[in-house]
Amino acid sequence: MKISVDYARCEGHGLCADQAPDVFSLDDDAELTYHFEDLEVPDEHTPAARAAVNVCPVAALRVQP
Amino acid sequence: MPTRTDIPAYRPDLYSAAAIRDTHPHYVRLRALGPVVWLTKHKVYALPRYEQCKAVLLDDDTFVSGEGVALNPIANRLGQGTTLYSDGDDHARRRALVAHRLTPRALRSLTAAVEEKAAEVVEAAIARRAVDGAEMAMALPLSVVPDLVGWPQEGREHLLRWAGAAFNGLGPFNRQAVRTLPSSLGMMRYARRVVRERSVLEGSMGHDLLCAADQGELLPAECATLMIDYLSPSLDTTISAIASALHLFATHPEQWRLLKEDPGRIPNAVNEVVRYESPIRAFTRTAARDTTIAGHAIPKGSRVLVLYGSANRDALEWEAPDTFDIRRDAARQLGFGQGTHGCAGQGLARLETSAILRALVARVDRIELTGTPEWALNNIIHRYERLPLQFIPA
Repeated sequence: MKISVDYARCEGHGLCADQAPDVFSLDDDAELTYHFEDLEVPDEHTPAARAAVNVCPVAALRVQP
Repeated sequence: MPTRTDIPAYRPDLYSAAAIRDTHPHYVRLRALGPVVWLTKHKVYALPRYEQCKAVLLDDDTFVSGEGVALNPIANRLGQGTTLYSDGDDHARRRALVAHRLTPRALRSLTAAVEEKAAEVVEAAIARRAVDGAEMAMALPLSVVPDLVGWPQEGREHLLRWAGAAFNGLGPFNRQAVRTLPSSLGMMRYARRVVRERSVLEGSMGHDLLCAADQGELLPAECATLMIDYLSPSLDTTISAIASALHLFATHPEQWRLLKEDPGRIPNAVNEVVRYESPIRAFTRTAARDTTIAGHAIPKGSRVLVLYGSANRDALEWEAPDTFDIRRDAARQLGFGQGTHGCAGQGLARLETSAILRALVARVDRIELTGTPEWALNNIIHRYERLPLQFIPA
């Protein structure tokens, strides 16, 4: 599974990082870091990653088809 | 292809005074009827379940806001030019003008002041012992939001009444809406004057907007609308969440214990409060083309009613939806909406509500309900108007 992040849309609410701390984190400036940019999300993290996509308040995260 | 005759109809008025005071039984019946229900009285397709509400909110190309998100044609016309009523690039431009002031990052500089004010509010409530929780819930938003937006001191005493009235006007054009119409126009008049006289506070969001207008990034006429856009939704909604939190923790002492044992649960507790008593009842969208929802044909131009409060209690999505439990993962609740139009002020709402809860867990042993609470009569906002409480200090 690959996830695309719309950084222009992201407002840094951080709900994704609560759901999937191994996949998303906010840096000290509350900027989003996505740990698997252009990579497949490892299988062990996909349930959490899906939950993160599901909760993004501004729909900045999409599972790539 | 199913047609409207296949869609179940619901006759009771979802916006009668009785229904506003006790809405959840209506939601239960609507959810049982199906994923799409025709509201005979308001001539709109209601979406009482989580899945369809979420799908409509996320598909903002098909279900647009530009025709208004209210339930009556007058408000849908009057609100033209607001961020709430815009789509696509136009919406993105308007939102970007202000939303960057509301991101969690931008709010960091406010955190200490908000926590300090929350502590004052809670300490004052403890000292008084008998308090109206609905009134107590107003103190923090009213001290934070007008400064952020940049309203001059003069006229602030009207803000809450005006904001409530503005929301009331977004439901059907019923008795409540008529009663508060003069107040909602009052806010617009005042905002125009503030912009004309440039009396906004230096360095505030409103000041940003004036500067953007000076540089030709937006029309001067848009400034007043944008200021209202961000002011009116930031008061009653957060007041609702804070008052509901007080009520829920007063009536669920075991949940209060859990919160006191682990204040790390506060952020999710805020999600659960907003899930359980969603501050906004419903907004509408308009189908921009012929489409379907859950297999039902929705013709172009139809209005659909996204029932946030009902979606957040849908048993198809939530286990034991009518149980208030701060341990459940409530992050996917729809109380702030979701997607392009997801609440821009949710970071601030979370900050304020969390600050009150943090101040309470540190100082209060338990919260007791000392009388019968009453819901405010408002077409859009679901909040307590009277909430008699007593705080027992730790």
